[in-house]
Amino acid sequence: MIHDLRAKNLILGYAGTDIVRDLDVVIPDGRITVIVGANACGKSTLLRGLARLLKPRGGEVLLDGTSVQDLRSIDVAKVLGLLPQSPVAPDGITVADLVGRGRYPHQGWFRQWSTEDERAVAEALEATGTADLADRNIAELSGGQRQRVWVAMALAQDTDLLLLDEPTTFLDINHQVELLDLLTDLNRESGKTIVIVLHDLNLACRYADHIIAMKQGAILAEGSPIDVIDAAVVTEVFGLECEVVPDPVSGTPMIVPRGRHHAARQRVTAAS
Amino acid sequence: MIDVVVSDRRTRRTRAGAVTGALALVAFALFILTMMVGSYYVPAWDVITSAFHLRDDPSVDFIVRDLRLPTATAALAVGFALGVSGLLFQKLLGNPLASPDFVGISSGASLFAVSAIILFGAGSTMISASALAGALISAILIYLLAWRDGISGYRFILIGIGLSEFMLSIIGYIVAHAELYEARQAMTWLVGTVGQAGSTELRTLLVALVVLVPAALVLQRPLRVLELGDDTAKALGARVEVSRLALIAVSIVLIGFATAVAGPIMFVALIAGPIAHRIVGHSGGGIIAAGLVGSIIVLGADLVAHHLLPVALPTGVITGIIGAPYLIWLLATVNREGRGG
Repeated sequence: MIHDLRAKNLILGYAGTDIVRDLDVVIPDGRITVIVGANACGKSTLLRGLARLLKPRGGEVLLDGTSVQDLRSIDVAKVLGLLPQSPVAPDGITVADLVGRGRYPHQGWFRQWSTEDERAVAEALEATGTADLADRNIAELSGGQRQRVWVAMALAQDTDLLLLDEPTTFLDINHQVELLDLLTDLNRESGKTIVIVLHDLNLACRYADHIIAMKQGAILAEGSPIDVIDAAVVTEVFGLECEVVPDPVSGTPMIVPRGRHHAARQRVTAAS
Repeated sequence: MIDVVVSDRRTRRTRAGAVTGALALVAFALFILTMMVGSYYVPAWDVITSAFHLRDDPSVDFIVRDLRLPTATAALAVGFALGVSGLLFQKLLGNPLASPDFVGISSGASLFAVSAIILFGAGSTMISASALAGALISAILIYLLAWRDGISGYRFILIGIGLSEFMLSIIGYIVAHAELYEARQAMTWLVGTVGQAGSTELRTLLVALVVLVPAALVLQRPLRVLELGDDTAKALGARVEVSRLALIAVSIVLIGFATAVAGPIMFVALIAGPIAHRIVGHSGGGIIAAGLVGSIIVLGADLVAHHLLPVALPTGVITGIIGAPYLIWLLATVNREGRGG
C-alpha cells in the first residue's frame, strides 16, 4: 500500500509560542525516516503535528492528498499510528490486554472483538518477542520489555505508517539496538513507513534511510545520512565541535565529539 | 501463538464474570439481611416474598415494604452510584486519589445543602435539589479552572482539593453562625445516612442509575484507551475531549444524586473502585463490580451503624472509620511509587 504523508507551510505551537515555523516536509513512503535535532528544536512537535495530535496554526498536514484535519480521527488511526514519548500503563494491566487496546480504531460500538483482532494482537506479540509475556503484569517487566510491549501495541493498530517519539529513551545501548533492529525488520518485511525521533546521532545515521536534521523549528538538512551528515551540519544543528568518521560496522557517518579536555592528551598518546 | 491471546482474554473474562456474580450475591444477601433485622425480626423468606410482592401479609408488609425497604433500597442504590462514580473518576484521571468525594464535588453538594437548611430553612426535597445543584456547579467550576488546552489529571485533582477546602470552610462559617436546631440538622445531614432518604429523591436516583449505568458501560470502550494517556488515545483515534466530558458528566450526576439522597457518605467512592479492581483482577473495566462493592460497603456500614452498635450512628460515621485508614495506607504506598497526590 502506498501512502503519501507530507506537510505544507506547517506552523505548530503551544500556548502563544510557535515551535515549528513554516515547514515543508515529505515523508518517503516505505522507508525509515529519522528526525534529529537538539532539545526543544520542535522534532516531537512535528511528529505530533503529523499524527494529527496537534492542530496546525497554519499550513496543513496532508495524508494521501487530504488535510488530516478534514479526516475523522478514527480513519487517520487506521492508516497512521503514533507511539508517544510517555504513554501511561494503567495499574495492573496485562501485556495482552494492553496490546489489545491498540485495536481500538478497528472496533466499533457493535463490532467489539473479532478473530481479526486476535490475529493482529498475536502477530504484534510475536514480532516484538513478547508473546511469552502475554499474561504478565506490565509493572513486573523491565524497561526494555515494557518498551517492546508498547511497540507491540502500536503494531496491533496495524497501520501502514508508524511514528515513534524517542522510543529508545530509558533503554540501555543493547536494548536501543535491539529495538531499532526490530523496527528495521518491520520496515523490510512489511514495507511499513517508519518515522522515528531519536537522540543518538550515530544510531540515527545507521538506521535511517532518510534523515531530517531540525534546528529551531525548521529543517536544516535532509536526505541520506551519508550525503547529509558531516561535521559542519552537526556543529550547526547541535552547536557541537566534532569529527565525522565512517562507522566501522555500517560505513555510515559516525560522530566523534571533540569536547574541551581529552583531545590533546589522546593525540600525544597516539604520537608516542 | 494465537492461543495465548485467546486464553489470556478468556481467563480475564471468566474471572471478571465469576467475581461480579459473587459480588451480586453478597450484595443481595446483605440487602435481604438489612430488612430482616431490627426491633422486630422477620425471617429471610418472608422478607423476600413481601419485598418482591410474591405474597401479601399485612403485618409483615408494613414492616418490610413501608419501614425497611426504602432504607435498604437507598443503601443499595447510593452505594452503587458512589462505587461507579468513583471508579470512573479514578480511571479517567489515572489516580486512585481522584475520587469525586475528594476533589470537591461532595463539598459543593454539602455547601449548597447546608445553605438550604440553615439560610433558607428548606425541607427535604429542597435540600436534595440543592445538593444536586451544588455537585454540578462545583464540578463545572473545577472543570473550567482546570482547563488549559485540555484537562490534566493532576491539575483537576489539585484544583478540586483546593476548592473543596474553600467550600468546607464556608460550611464551617455558616454552621458556626446558625441557630442550634438548624446547626444540628445540618451536621446530621453532613455526616450522611441512608435512612434520611425521601421517596421522591430515591426514585430519582433509581431512574438515574437505570439511565447512567448503561451509559457508563458504553463509555467503557473509549475509557479503555483514555487510560493510556491523551496522546495514545488520540493516536488510536479516540475523541478524547468528548469522551472525557461524557464520562465526567456521568460520574458527577451519579454522585450528585447519591448525595442528594443520603448526604455526603464519605470514602465509599474512594475505596469501592480499588477494592473491585483488586478482586476482579486485571480485566479492565469492572464498572458493575465497583458498583456492587459500593452497595456492599454501604449496606454493611448501615447494618453495623444501626444494629451492631449499642447506639445507632449515621452510616457515614462507619464508612469514615473504614475509609480513613485506607486513605492513609493509600497516601503512604502510592507516594512511595512516585504516583498519586
